[in-house]
Amino acid sequence: MGKLRIAAVILLLLLTGCKRDERVLEDLGMVQTSSYDLLENNKLKVVSCVPVIDPDSPVRRELLTAESDSIKEARLQFSRQTDLMVVSGQLREVLFGTTLAKAGIGGYTDTLLRDPSTALGVRVTVVEGDAGELLSKTYEPHSDTGSYITHLLEKESLGNSVPATTLYEFSRDYNDDGIDAVTPVVKNVGNKVTIDGIALFLMDKYVMKIPVEDGIIFALFRDDLKQGEATVNLGKQNGKPVIVMFSSLSSKRKVKVHKKGDGRFKVVISTSVQGSVLEYTGEEKLSAPGTRHKLEEEISKSITEKAEEMILQMQQEKTDALGIGRYVRNSLSYREWTSMNWREVYPRIEVDCHVKVIIKDYGKYS
Amino acid sequence: MQQKISPFHIAVLTYMAQAGMVLFTLPRSLADYFGTNGWLVLIPCFLLSAFNIWLISLVFRLGQGRSVFAILEQSVPKMLLYPLYFLLAGSWLIFGCMIGKKYVLVFQMLSFPSTNPMLFKLAIDVLAFLLLIKGIQGISKAATLFFWMTAWMILLLAWFIPSFRWERLTPFLLKGGHDQVKGSIEVYSAFLGYELTLFLFPHVKKNKKSIWAIHVGNLFLMLNYLSLSLICFGLFSLNQLKKLLYPVLDLLAYIQFPFIERLENLLYGFFLFLILITLVMYWWAAQLTVQRMMPKLNMKILLLILIFIAYGISFFAETLEQVNVWITNLGYAVTGIAFGLPTLLIMILLLQRKGGTTHG
Repeated sequence: MGKLRIAAVILLLLLTGCKRDERVLEDLGMVQTSSYDLLENNKLKVVSCVPVIDPDSPVRRELLTAESDSIKEARLQFSRQTDLMVVSGQLREVLFGTTLAKAGIGGYTDTLLRDPSTALGVRVTVVEGDAGELLSKTYEPHSDTGSYITHLLEKESLGNSVPATTLYEFSRDYNDDGIDAVTPVVKNVGNKVTIDGIALFLMDKYVMKIPVEDGIIFALFRDDLKQGEATVNLGKQNGKPVIVMFSSLSSKRKVKVHKKGDGRFKVVISTSVQGSVLEYTGEEKLSAPGTRHKLEEEISKSITEKAEEMILQMQQEKTDALGIGRYVRNSLSYREWTSMNWREVYPRIEVDCHVKVIIKDYGKYS
Repeated sequence: MQQKISPFHIAVLTYMAQAGMVLFTLPRSLADYFGTNGWLVLIPCFLLSAFNIWLISLVFRLGQGRSVFAILEQSVPKMLLYPLYFLLAGSWLIFGCMIGKKYVLVFQMLSFPSTNPMLFKLAIDVLAFLLLIKGIQGISKAATLFFWMTAWMILLLAWFIPSFRWERLTPFLLKGGHDQVKGSIEVYSAFLGYELTLFLFPHVKKNKKSIWAIHVGNLFLMLNYLSLSLICFGLFSLNQLKKLLYPVLDLLAYIQFPFIERLENLLYGFFLFLILITLVMYWWAAQLTVQRMMPKLNMKILLLILIFIAYGISFFAETLEQVNVWITNLGYAVTGIAFGLPTLLIMILLLQRKGGTTHG
C-alpha cells in the first residue's frame, strides 16, 4: 500500500508540469469562424470571429482583423489585439473571398490541415465578393454571423441543394486525380445572407458557379441522394407557368464508360429519381396514370437537358466536379491512366445523361 | 503451484503486445509505400507472422514447454549466451522505450504543446514499473481489463461507412508506391509483439489451445488493421492519405456527436492502454533476460535500474523524426529477433533431440 501511495503522489506531482499548458475557459478566444480575402497588395486579410462568453457584455462576439502574409501570422497579430488567448480548436467554418478562391486556396487548406488543433470537420465556403465584409456585418436577429452561416449551410446541405463541404471533403477531392472539389457559395443580400450556388474548382482554383436553383440537378449527377427537394419548370401552358415541385427525393446514380478508341470516351450517367409531387400547376389531373407517366417523361427530359448543358459548361472550364474521371480511371489500366492527361481529354469526352423519374405519390389530393 | 494463464488471456495479451503506435500511421505507410490498394499488403504480412508463430509453436512442442533460457543454456556455454542476452535485452528495452516516447510526443503535439514531454514519459514509466513488479500474471490481468477498455473503439469505424466509396479504392494493384522493401519492414513491424509469447511458455498450460490462442490474438489484430486500412482507403483519396501523417487521429477528429466535439483528445487517451501493454511486454522480456544473467539481483531493483537506463536513453530522441528513425532501426533488429530466435531454438532442440537419441 505504501508504495502505491508514493506512486500516486509522484503521478500527481507530475501533473504540475502541465501548468504551462493550462487553459482557463474564460481566458480563451475560441475562434469559430474565419474569413480570408486576397487584397490588392497581395496580402491576406483575415477576419476571425470569437464568441464573447461574458454574460454581462452587450455584444456576443468579438471581431479580430489582420493583414498578413499567412493565416498563422494573422493569429499572432490577433493575439496583440485582444486580452484573450486566441486558439483555433473550436473552428467550425472558414470563408474564402472570391478573389482568393479564384487565385487558389490549396495552400491555405494545407495550413489548416497541418494544425493539430483543427479538425477535418471544419466547413469550407466561398463568399461571393468580400468574405471579411460579410463576416463583419451583423444580420439581425442573428447575433453571430459566423454561426448563422454555419447553421444555414448545415440545414440546406441536408436537402442536398448545396454540398456540405468540410476540409475533409475538400482535401479529399482536391487530392484525387479523378474528381474536382466543390463548395457552397454564399453572398450578402442586404439584410440576409443567402446561398448563391455551388463553386466548382479546377484543382484549388474556383472557376465556375452553378446557380443555386440547379444545385439539386448537380447533386443528382454527383452522388446518390437520400433526400432533397426540387422544382422543375416545364414551360408554359395557356400562358401559365407549369411547375412541378418534388419532395422527399431519393436517387441512385450509375456511371458507365465506353472506350471509343484513340483516346476518346463516351460516358453515360444514368440517374433514377424517386419522389413525391407536392405541387403541380399544370392543367392535367395527376390521378390519371397516363398523365403521371407523361409528366415523368417531361420532368426527365427537362432535367436531362439542364444536366447536359451544365456538363458542357464544366467541360469548357475543364472542371470535373462530377467525378467522371474516377470512373474513366477505374475502367483503364494503370499505365493507360497515368500516360493520359485527363485534364486535356476531359473536355473532349462525350457525356450522355439518362434520367428516370418515378413519381412515388402525389400527396393526399387529386 | 503458480496459476497458469488461460488461452483467452494469452490471446488478449498477444493482441495487446502487438497493437501499438504503428496503428496510427499504418494506413498512411500502406498508401505511401505501396500505392493503390496498399491495404492488401497486410495479408502477406499476416501470413508471415502466422508462419513465425508456427515456428514459436514448434519451439513449444519440441521443448515441451520449457523456458527459452533453459533450452539455450542446456547446449550453449554461458560465455556465448551472455552477449546474445545482452543484445536481446537491449533491443527490447530501447524499442519499448521509444514506442512510449513516440506516444508521448504525439500526445504532446495534440494536447500539451509546451509541456516538457519527459514529464509524461516519466508518468508512463512509473505506470509501467507498477505493472512490471506485479509479474506476468498481473500484467495479463491488466491487459485484459485494458483490452475491454479499448476494443470497443473498432466499432467507431462504422461511423465512416456512409462516406466510404469503393470507387476510391481504384482497380489498380499496388501502383504508385516506392521503397517497397523498407515499407514492407515498416508495415511488418505493426505485427511485432507476438514473439514475446516465447517467454510465456512456463506460465501456460502445455496444450494446443495455448498456441492457438496466440494465432487468435494475431488474427484479431489483423482484422482490426484490415478494417481500419480498408476504411481509410475508401474514405480518403490516395494522395490525401499519403499526406496525412496520422490518419487515425484525423479519423478520430472527424467523429462529431451533437453533444461533444473534438473527441480525439479524449480517445487518444484510451490508446495509452494499448501502448502501455506493448511497452510493458517488451520491458518484461528485457527484464527476464537480464535477470537470467544476474539471478541474485532483487527483481524490483533490477527493474528500477532498467527503467532508469531506458528513461535516460529516451532523452536522446528529442523530435518525432528522431524517434521514428530509432523505431525503424530497432524495428529491423526486433523483426530479426522475432524470426532468428525461434529458428535458433529449433536448431538447438533438434540437436539436443539427436544427441538425446544417440546417447539414449
